[in-house]
Formats: sequence, structure tokens, C-alpha cells
Amino acid sequence: MMRWFAAAAVFLLMTLIGHLAVLNAIPSRIMATAQLKMAERGVPTYQWVASQRMTPQTQTIVRPSPDLAYAICRFDVSDGPVLLTAPASDTYGSLSVFDQRTNNVFIARLDGEEDFRGLVIHAPGNAPEAPDGAETLAMPGPGLALVRRLAPDQATHEAATALVDQSTCKNLDHVD
Amino acid sequence: MRLLWPLITAAILGLVAGALSAAWMAGLLLSGPRLGDGVKVNGWTSDWSIGADSANPYIRARVARFGLLALRKEEAVYFTAARDSDGNPLSDQCIYRVSGGEMPAEWWSITLYDGDSRLPMNEDGALSFDATKAADTGTPDNWSFRVSPQQNGRPGEVWVSSRNAGRFDLTLRLYLPDDALLTRPENALKPPVIDELFCEKGAA
Repeated sequence: MMRWFAAAAVFLLMTLIGHLAVLNAIPSRIMATAQLKMAERGVPTYQWVASQRMTPQTQTIVRPSPDLAYAICRFDVSDGPVLLTAPASDTYGSLSVFDQRTNNVFIARLDGEEDFRGLVIHAPGNAPEAPDGAETLAMPGPGLALVRRLAPDQATHEAATALVDQSTCKNLDHVD
Repeated sequence: MRLLWPLITAAILGLVAGALSAAWMAGLLLSGPRLGDGVKVNGWTSDWSIGADSANPYIRARVARFGLLALRKEEAVYFTAARDSDGNPLSDQCIYRVSGGEMPAEWWSITLYDGDSRLPMNEDGALSFDATKAADTGTPDNWSFRVSPQQNGRPGEVWVSSRNAGRFDLTLRLYLPDDALLTRPENALKPPVIDELFCEKGAA
């Protein structure tokens, strides 16, 4: 009888451990997989990349919005601080940053309602000097920056894509 | 030795059970349960823990699975409906009329997704309806559009294609939502109504 009590106790304990371990690993795992797939598709780091208009044929993430133009930048603050900028326009738009656990750790409006002058992301405890007016954010490891702009038709999508050339995503420790 | 093997077996089974239950609750196995800071308004459901740092590990895992890179609720909220006004699951074997009025946000859109949370694989170019299209109807406070697998409705009728969607859902995105929506969603939001117009026999 004692043997079965012990087995039941071990079963419950290991169930709890397995449950929590897998649960906590899922977001990081999914984000790492998403980053890997982007890398495999040739999305470089430290460079804004505009996506094609979202269609059934071009979708790469779940529940993409076909009404928005997306630009994405992959980075890793382990390699040094990163500067992000993106110009405002007169339609809805935002710049958001996600950490490796999928948390939305920063967001700025790009519709002219806020005076966004850039963001410097750095590793915790390693704050660099930020360009004038830029905000700073501490977060560990790799991350993704995503610009969304309202673009419900081809013309607005092309206009939003053109703004990518005026945006910055660069490692401040790298020499140009 | 008689004690050791039951313990090892129990440990392995426990780990497997724990891993499977976590995957189920995260929605990686089947659809899993609904969890978190749920909001439900007339059949449209949302989870406002999406994107928040405070999201519990179950919500965080489900969002990573079903809505990776989703925004915080102050920036955008997402409501999803998977059933029509009679409570039947939405299906590409049926035709629906979706109607509504003004929404408490700067801009909004309604997009159709298939059972895998993907845009349905068709080339109809009719994936969504939005505030701009509602304004184009001339009556942004009283708009409607049709959801069907083929564009064979009335001339000029706005259409969203459900071709190849199977069982699908509609997602209402509200960008820059009004404060009233965030504090009292049940009062501030009059979500779209999804009425079934026609269904192939046995589809619903």
C-alpha cells in the first residue's frame, strides 16, 4: 500500500513540475521559432523589413490584419544597444517592441499625436547615452520591433512601405 | 527495487501528463479552455490581458500560440465571434449578413479567419470590412456586409469571402479604443450582429 501512495505522490509532483516547465517554456519557444522562421526567410537583423500586403498567400503569422502595413526589425541587445526610429504619418500607426517572452514592452504612436523621437533598447544595467529626445528601454536578449500602419488599399500600403526607408534599426556599437 | 520501478513509472507518466495538460491549456492541443481577463459582449469575446506584462502564464502561452505580437488593450482590442446570432458555429457552407453601427474607436476592422487562425486560402481579395468601407456606404452608423463563399449577392453589396474557410470566426479589431470601451465594454460596445441568411442542409 505504501508503495502506491509513494507512486501517487511522485506522479502528482512530476505532473506539476512538467506542467509548469512546459507552460513557462511555450512563449519563449514560440517566439524563438518565429525568429528562426524569419531568419530562414532571409529577414536580417538590425534592418527594417517591410512585409508584403497580407494575403492568404503571403501570411506568415497567425491572424494577420490585411488592413495594415507591417515592417519588422529583429535585434538582440546582447550584441549592444539598439536604436529604433520611425517617422509619423497622418494615419493610424504604431511602433511596438516585443521581448523574447512575447511581452509587448514598448509602444509609441506614429500618427503624429505623440512626439516620438526614437527608442534606445539596451541590456539591463547597461544604459547607454541616447540621442537627443530618444527614450530608453532595458530588456534582455533578442527582441522584435514591429511597425503597423493603416493601409487598407494598395496605394496606402505603398505609401507606408516608402516610410520604411526613413526608419532606423541599428546596433549602436556597430560602426557604420 | 520493487519500490523503484513504480516510482520511475509514476515520474515519467507525471511529466508526460503535466506537459500534455500545459499544452492543452495553452491551446497547442485541441483548442483548450478559455482563460484570463475575459470580456464578452453579445457573443463577441475578448481577452484584455493580451500583450500585458501581467498576463498569467496560461494567457501568455495562449496569446503566443494564437495572437503572437498582439498589442495592449490601450492600443487595440480584439473581439472574436465564432457563432451567429442563433448560436450556430460559423461555416463556409452558409451565408451571413453582418450589420452594425459606429464603433467606440479611432478605426476598426472585421476580418475572417479559418479554424487555424489564418486568412482563408482563396484569391477573392475580400478578406475584411472596415471603418473606411463603412464610411463609403454613406451610412457609417448603419452598415452591413455579406459573408459567403461566393460573390453572388445583390449588385454593389459589400462582401467578405468565406471560401475555403471551413468553420471560421470573425475578429473585430478596435484601434485606439475609447476609454469608455475599456472601462465599461458592455455599455460602450454594440458589436456587429451576425445573422444567417442561408445554410446548406446539415451545415450549421
